Amino acid sequence: MEEVDKILIHALKQVGTEVSEETGSVKQFSSELIVEAVVRCVRVIDSGLGGALPTSLPPGMSARFRVGMSLAQACQDIGYKGEIGYQTFLYSNEPEIRSLLMFLVEKLPRESAETSDQPQGKSAVLQRAIAAAIKAQLSVPWLPPNCRLPLHSETQSPGALHRFHVQPLSLPHCSPGKKQLKEVKDYHRDILPPVTAQPSHHASVVASILEQHTAELSAAQEWDNEWNSQGLLSRLKPQEYRSRKLTRLRKRIQEQLRSAAQPSPESALGGPRSTCDLSELLQAFRGSAPSDHILTKGSHFTHTQKFTFTQTETSASIPFVHQSDGDVQLRQQEEQLSLQQQLQQLCSEVDQLTADMKHMTVTHAQVLDELKQRELGNSENVEKMQVKKKTIDLLPDSDDNLEKLKALVEASAKRVVNLASQWEKHRAPLIDEHRRLKEICSKQDLESSKKLSEIKSLHDKIRVSTEEAKKKEETYKQLVTELENLPQDASRLAYTQRILEIVSNIKKQKEEITKILSDTKDLQKEINSLTGKLDRTFAVTDELVFKDAKKDESVRKSYKYLAALHENCNQLIQTIEYTGTILREIRDLEEQIETENGSKTVANLERILSDYKAIRQENSALAAKVREG
Amino acid sequence: MVVLLSRLPATDCIKFCHRVVDGLCGREPPRRSDHGTTWSPEEWLQLLDSLSAFFRLAVGSNSSEEEVLGGLADVGSSHAEAVLSVLRARREEIRDALLDRTNSISSATLQDFDWQLRLSLSSDKISSLHTPLLSLSLDVREDAALRSVTMEMNREELNTLISSLEAANKVVLQMK
Repeated sequence: MEEVDKILIHALKQVGTEVSEETGSVKQFSSELIVEAVVRCVRVIDSGLGGALPTSLPPGMSARFRVGMSLAQACQDIGYKGEIGYQTFLYSNEPEIRSLLMFLVEKLPRESAETSDQPQGKSAVLQRAIAAAIKAQLSVPWLPPNCRLPLHSETQSPGALHRFHVQPLSLPHCSPGKKQLKEVKDYHRDILPPVTAQPSHHASVVASILEQHTAELSAAQEWDNEWNSQGLLSRLKPQEYRSRKLTRLRKRIQEQLRSAAQPSPESALGGPRSTCDLSELLQAFRGSAPSDHILTKGSHFTHTQKFTFTQTETSASIPFVHQSDGDVQLRQQEEQLSLQQQLQQLCSEVDQLTADMKHMTVTHAQVLDELKQRELGNSENVEKMQVKKKTIDLLPDSDDNLEKLKALVEASAKRVVNLASQWEKHRAPLIDEHRRLKEICSKQDLESSKKLSEIKSLHDKIRVSTEEAKKKEETYKQLVTELENLPQDASRLAYTQRILEIVSNIKKQKEEITKILSDTKDLQKEINSLTGKLDRTFAVTDELVFKDAKKDESVRKSYKYLAALHENCNQLIQTIEYTGTILREIRDLEEQIETENGSKTVANLERILSDYKAIRQENSALAAKVREG
Repeated sequence: MVVLLSRLPATDCIKFCHRVVDGLCGREPPRRSDHGTTWSPEEWLQLLDSLSAFFRLAVGSNSSEEEVLGGLADVGSSHAEAVLSVLRARREEIRDALLDRTNSISSATLQDFDWQLRLSLSSDKISSLHTPLLSLSLDVREDAALRSVTMEMNREELNTLISSLEAANKVVLQMK
């Protein structure tokens, strides 16, 4: 019972009942404590029911009685089936209270104990703590740096915050397939500083390394994704797939550039004119490699423009060195004007020339085409002429030549037939071969597509299983943290051990009981056989003695004695049995007395009497008040 | 102006050229203070410019080793050899740096970015807000000058930004 009481008291404490340390069992519970415990449990189980109930007993007797009645009603509403009334609380007896409390504790919702312990949850508490800390920091007045105590410097100085800036790193990559140049190896060995020494600021080391790794990782992942989604379907090797994609892309870019570079009438000046210009432009980029960071966009035309401009300026500025200042200014203005005019003229000339040039190139191409066509016509004509010349040569000896021609035609027809038969001979096996190969090909196609689908499904499976594994890991972690957060004081292990002990005890007791039962059975058997034996021996002896008793007086006496002995023995046995039953009854009665003692009947009776007196007093006082009123 | 290189001993020359290439690839360029009074400031600038221009040209036009040696005719043969070895070792790196520069051929390019996650607990009007905010700062290079663009976003705005960036990345992936 002690264990049960401990569990009950623990649960009641969690609900919020103030059970003092000394009370170790339900026996020691006072009426007030019982009422408080029951009310708190009822409140947790059903806040609507328990809200109206007071946690402590009022002083007035009739009020107490009412509280007891309402409590009993509430317990019955919750579903308590046992006997309950106001007397359960006011005049408590241990087993009833224990069964009531056990019922209530079982009814308690599992979470309620914990939630009542931490009503807001950890995150809310943490956020409140953060807010409080910030408020405290804000309320501290600002101090100039020199006056700061170490306490302040933590919150008021900007601190050692580093911006997450990245600088490029150089890492030696060793790919097994490629052989590295000796110079590269030397560089990596002798000159390349370690990664931690490469960035100019020590603070950006971590940032740079992290950035480099994420960049490489994401590139690898993206490639992996693309290869799994599209690359596998194309049935190419990775390199082939890459190169094909590259050429496709190049083509697209070329088309884009070409369409963008089509000369539109509005943009005659500036802007790239044609693909030819663009390639020159690119050449210029590569060759000159300017040191500023943004590459200036310029065309061939602007370059030439600049060039002519600077040339004319330098050639023009030389003769006017010896003039006076005013003259010089005037001259310069004039010069400028003339130069501008010249420039415009030159510009227009250049425009005209470029237009001319384009026209010329077009006409040149046309002329070239024409020339080619003419040449083709020419060669055809020459062939025709040769055929005609031969026929003219053959004309004089026409009959003979005709015969010859016929023979020739026949021979060639024969040859054609011959060749055709030969071709048939060759053709048949070749066609067979072709068909066979085709079949093999289609089979392989089928197989490969099957394998592809298998690979795809495998990939899917891998993804799904990794996701599952991740989820499970997360749940595992969550459960571990939950386990760690569980209250350790409810010593589960101790309880289970205790339960196991009790179970083993019960087993032992059961064994003993069965032993005793079998013993009593044996005894019963023995008793039965003995009584049987006794009856039989008595009957035999009785007969024998009775026969002799007719003849002999002394024997008659002994017969009387025998009968008396038998009767006396029977009486003795009966008496012993009676004593046994009486002893049993005594024991029963003793037990009853004990239980009655346990339920504190006498004390409760006394209390009932005193309470009765108190109620009568209250009643008489009230009656007196009524009379006075 | 690469001639100025001949003032260095050949062993230092390799190291110096590597530092120049480092500067070309976006890391720390060599400092004049490390080389004392070997060159005047003007010469120093000229040397740096001409050397980096030389490396760029050599890698950009993919010139053969003979051409490179021809361009270094006026420097001593050991120095020319040193420059050539540096070029051989770093050709890939310089190429990558040049490609990178060509890729950023627009008026403004994103150089770097940084972000901070902030949890605003309350405001002047609401006592408990609990809204996470992301402040994103983009370092944009515009006409050779670095400009920092900072913005603050809540959860929905960040989601829109991320989805649009993902769409852009999809397009970029097709180009890779």
